Amino acid sequence: MKVLSKDKLETVFNRLAQESDVYVPMQRGEQSGFFSFLTYDAARDEIALDILNTYLPPKNIILPQTEKMYSFRQEGTKVNIEEVYEDSQPKIIFGIRGCDAKAVECLDMVFLTRGYEDSFYKSRRENTVIIANACYAPGPNCFCESMGIDPVNPRPADVIIRDTGNGTLVWEAASDKGKKISDQISEFLEEKDVKLPEAKQCQRQVAYDGVAEKLRDMFASPVWDKLSEPCQNCGICTYLCPTCYCFDIQVKSWGEEGYRFRCWDSCMYREYTQMAGGHNPRETGTERFRNRFLHKLEFFKERYGTSLCTGCGRCIIACPVGIDITNIVDLIKEVDAGA
Amino acid sequence: MHKCDCNPLVPDIVEVIEIVEETPDVKTFNVKSEKGVPFDVMPGQLAMLSLVPVGEAMFSVSWQEEKEYLQFAIKRVGLMTDELHKIDVGQQLGIRGPYGNGFPVEECKGKDMLFIGGGIGLAPLRSFIKYCFKHRQDYGKIQILYGSRSYADLCFKEELFEKWPGQKDTEVFVTIDNPEEGWDGHVGFVPSYLEEINPDPAGKIAVTCGPPIMIKFVLQALEKMGYTDEQVITTLEMRMKCGIGKCGRCNIGSEYICLDGPVFNLAQLKKLPPEW
Repeated sequence: MKVLSKDKLETVFNRLAQESDVYVPMQRGEQSGFFSFLTYDAARDEIALDILNTYLPPKNIILPQTEKMYSFRQEGTKVNIEEVYEDSQPKIIFGIRGCDAKAVECLDMVFLTRGYEDSFYKSRRENTVIIANACYAPGPNCFCESMGIDPVNPRPADVIIRDTGNGTLVWEAASDKGKKISDQISEFLEEKDVKLPEAKQCQRQVAYDGVAEKLRDMFASPVWDKLSEPCQNCGICTYLCPTCYCFDIQVKSWGEEGYRFRCWDSCMYREYTQMAGGHNPRETGTERFRNRFLHKLEFFKERYGTSLCTGCGRCIIACPVGIDITNIVDLIKEVDAGA
Repeated sequence: MHKCDCNPLVPDIVEVIEIVEETPDVKTFNVKSEKGVPFDVMPGQLAMLSLVPVGEAMFSVSWQEEKEYLQFAIKRVGLMTDELHKIDVGQQLGIRGPYGNGFPVEECKGKDMLFIGGGIGLAPLRSFIKYCFKHRQDYGKIQILYGSRSYADLCFKEELFEKWPGQKDTEVFVTIDNPEEGWDGHVGFVPSYLEEINPDPAGKIAVTCGPPIMIKFVLQALEKMGYTDEQVITTLEMRMKCGIGKCGRCNIGSEYICLDGPVFNLAQLKKLPPEW
């Protein structure tokens, strides 16, 4: 098998960065996430392939938190669309885990299927290479297995890397894009037989089977009042969730010029569904909380055939009041659907 | 003029060619692009209009006049519509669409049609009503019941009082909420007037749009009169941003109003969570 020595990683990143923006998991002060290798500062950052999980998910690489869509000019009554910003810069996401890879698949379903292709997303996604890191020892808040993910075989992936634990990574090209990248760095890959670590199971297990179906009859259940009671509707879960994709479209204009942009939005906020005439279909925090969990666990599955939770565990860590989606699933499982 | 044909979120440009003041807070805007209509629209479909430096908002297209122009009847209710009401003929706007499923004009062929509207809710119904008149032979008897707060608040007065009542096999019923000087027509709310008229459900499709409270009582009245859930159609409204089923906010359950709606029959609606 092809093997890459970990002490050559920085050299490899430098090589790949000649053609692509390379995003690498790093610990940066108290923050961890996938940051551009161009911003890597050895005095401040630590390249950390083993973090489970990075605090920030990699979704901003293909769905930026803020993204310019097009610029315009309005002179008097005349309007002209000037430039459309579709980003085709090649990108490599290095070392994402099965949960985040699955999240990319969910984003692909949203932005590339069901009637319309989102051109901004498509352009970025087509030019993105995913190098996924197999998980042999899931972290303390990980529960991806319960959400139908095999952490040792992350999908979708162009290359799968497997950390042997002995200073080397097994390198498997898994697509044509992946083969191209492998060719670019072939001088650093050695042919070698190595032993892979034994895969450990997630410590957290959730019985998600049947939950989507059960939730169909639970929209009016009083359980939502109880579950949502501690929720502050702060939205941190939606920002850190690798699959939360909702966005707003806004405008910035000055004088005769301006641009329209989109930015992440959150279903936790009242304004998200506030209509101009005053009506709001999800006026209360409980209604918004219910919609979020139903979207994750029921609605997305009905529409796209898979849950919108990938078991990454980030919301569990970040929630200021300790709301834990695995407890919610457990409770839904226990409660009498009609009650 | 730049037009990106491939990117569904980038607007085409249209120009306002006529503005009609319908009521103190409703204006109808006729818009056309260089080629006439920017795209073809079926009754009940939506389009995203933008006053480009200000904002975008989704509106029901109240009529497509051949290949010449699109009509939007727009009520002043918020920031964007406030600004729209200030523009003059000649102003260029952004437009993208058409969005949504529209009314089931094919399935309704051969049926008697009952349209029940309140306030600005007549705007989307009007596209279907005018479609029926344009294809008069395809539809049976047409009944239109419409109400508003006052005479001044009635939209499309010329059509209501002059054009539509003269059409073949057509009845138009108009009501206002409270009595006023000079009005000798019906006074009262739409749902109770509907019960008075008591239109027979046999072979009929009822299409309704209006304020949520009106819709609620109209649906109750129709049920009482023996209309089945499949015979009752309505068109929903939610906040929308993208129009293409991506941005998330207009969902009711797993359906997106911009893409799977805005038109549903009552049988379909009853399968969704009661957030409409």
